[in-house]
Amino acid sequence: MNKESGNQWKLGMFVIIGIILFVIAIYFIGKSKNLFSSTFTLHSQFKNVRGLKVGNNVRFAGINVGTIAEIELITDTSVIVDMIMKVEVQKFIKSDAMASIGSDGLMGDKVLTIYPGTFNKRMISNNGFINSKNALEMEELLKSIKTSVDNVGIITTQLAEFTFKINNGKGALSKLITDEEFSKSLKGTLINLEISSKEFAKFTVKMNDGKGALSKLVSDEQLANKLDSTISNLQTGTKGLSENMEAAKSNLFLRGFFNTKKKNAAKRAVELKKNEKVLKEVNNSK
Amino acid sequence: MTTNLKDVFNNTTNVTIFTFRFWDEVFKPPFEIKEFIKQCYLLGYKALPLVAITGFIMGLVLTIQSRPTMAKFGAEAWLPGMVALSMIKEVAPIITALICAGKISSGIGAELGSMKVTEQIDAMEVSAINPFKYLVVTRILATTVMIPILVVFADCIGIIGGFTGMNIHTDVTLFRYLHKILESLNFIDIVPATIKTFFFGFFIGMIGCYKGFTASNGTESVGRAANSAVVAASLAIFIIDMIAVQLTDLYASL
Repeated sequence: MNKESGNQWKLGMFVIIGIILFVIAIYFIGKSKNLFSSTFTLHSQFKNVRGLKVGNNVRFAGINVGTIAEIELITDTSVIVDMIMKVEVQKFIKSDAMASIGSDGLMGDKVLTIYPGTFNKRMISNNGFINSKNALEMEELLKSIKTSVDNVGIITTQLAEFTFKINNGKGALSKLITDEEFSKSLKGTLINLEISSKEFAKFTVKMNDGKGALSKLVSDEQLANKLDSTISNLQTGTKGLSENMEAAKSNLFLRGFFNTKKKNAAKRAVELKKNEKVLKEVNNSK
Repeated sequence: MTTNLKDVFNNTTNVTIFTFRFWDEVFKPPFEIKEFIKQCYLLGYKALPLVAITGFIMGLVLTIQSRPTMAKFGAEAWLPGMVALSMIKEVAPIITALICAGKISSGIGAELGSMKVTEQIDAMEVSAINPFKYLVVTRILATTVMIPILVVFADCIGIIGGFTGMNIHTDVTLFRYLHKILESLNFIDIVPATIKTFFFGFFIGMIGCYKGFTASNGTESVGRAANSAVVAASLAIFIIDMIAVQLTDLYASL
C-alpha cells in the first residue's frame, strides 16, 4: 500500500504532463487559426474566387491577419467570402479597402490580400463589406500573351523575308553584305579616304600656321588691308588710265589697237572684282 | 479447413461476447478505482521510457532520411512541418501502439493466462470478487486511457528528435522550428489521430485480456496466449489504422 501511494504521484505527473502537452498543442494550433483571440468579421464579394478555400490565410501588408471562414455562392456570378480577422488590424482597414485573391508562391495556397484604402476614411466596422479587386486572371493573361505572340509571328515572317532579300537580292544592302568585290572596292575607297583625310589634316595645319601665301591670304588681316588699298589705288589708277585711253581712242590711228585693249581691260576688271568678292567672303566666314 | 473456419467464427462470437460483457460491466458499480490506478501506473507510466526512446529516434531518423529528398526540391524549409505532420498523424500513434502491443498486450495475456491456468481466477470467483471486473475492466480502461497520453508524449519527443535531426546540418532555433510546425498543423491532423489512439488502446487491452482470459488449461497455453495476443493486437492496430485513415479522408474531402 505504501509502495502504491509512492508510485501514485508519478502516474499523476505522467497524466497531467500528457494532458498539458495536448492542450498546449491544441491551444497554439487554434491560436494560429484565430480561434481564441478576439476577432471581427469582414465580407467581400467576388465574381470568381479561383480556388480559395475555407481556412486560407488573409493577408494585410504581407502579414497573416485572419482566415477565410466561409465561402458562399449567392448568384451565378457572385460569391460572398467571409473572413475572420484579428481585432488589432481593424483600425488599419478603412471603409474603401480592397480585397483581392492571389496565390502564395508558384505552388502555394491561395491567399486573400487586403489593400488598406485611403487613410482619412473611417475605420471598417464589424461585419463590414469591402470591395473586391479582380486580380490578374490567368485567362486574360493568356489572351494578352496570345496577341503579343501573334505579333511576334508577323514580325518574324517579315524578318525572314527581309533576311531572304538580303541574302539573295540585288539591292545596295545585300551587296554590302554579300558581294566580295563590292566590299573590296569599299575597302579601297576607305583607304583612299583615309589617305586624303590625312593630307587634308596636313593642309589645314599648314593653313593655320600662317606662313604660306594662301594661309596668309586666309588668315592675315594686314595683308587684307594692303590688298584693299592696292585695289583702291588700282581703281584710281585705272580711272586716270581710262581717261587717257578715252583721249587716245579718239585718236584715229590708235583706235583699232585700243578697241582690243579695251576688251582686255574690261576682262581684267571683272577678274579683279571676283577676286575681291572671294576675299570678302573668306573674311566674313572667318 | 472447415474446423479452422469454424474456429474463426467461434472466436469472432467469443470476442464479441467478451466486448459486450466489458461494456456491460464498465458502468456497473462497484468500481475498482485503486486497481485501475495501479494498472494505469504499470501499463502507462512504465511504458513511457520505451515510448520516449522510440519516439525520439523516429523523429530523428525521419528528419535525416527525408532531408536529401526535400533538399532535392529545395524544400528543406518544409522539413519540420512534414516530419511533425507524419509524426502526429501516423508514425507516433502506430509506433506507440505497436510497442504497447508488444509490451502490454503480451504482458496482460501472459499474466491473465497464468492466473487462469493456475485457477486463481476461479478462486477469485469463489471469494465473491468479480474477476472480470477486477482484472479485465481495469486493464482495458487503463490501456484505453494511457495509450493516447503515451502517444502525446511520443509526438512531443518525436518533434524534439526532429529538431535534433534538423540541427545536424543546419542551424534552426527551437522557436522557429516550433513555429514552422504550428504553421503546418491543423485540427484535422490532430483530432482524428488522437481519437484513433483510444481505439488502439482499447484493442490492445481487450485482445490481451481476451487471450489471457480464454487460455485453456495447461502451462504452454500461457505462452500461446502471450504470443497470439501480440500478433492479434498488432494486426488489429493496422486494421483500425486503415479504417481510421479512410474515415478521416472521407471526412476531410467533404
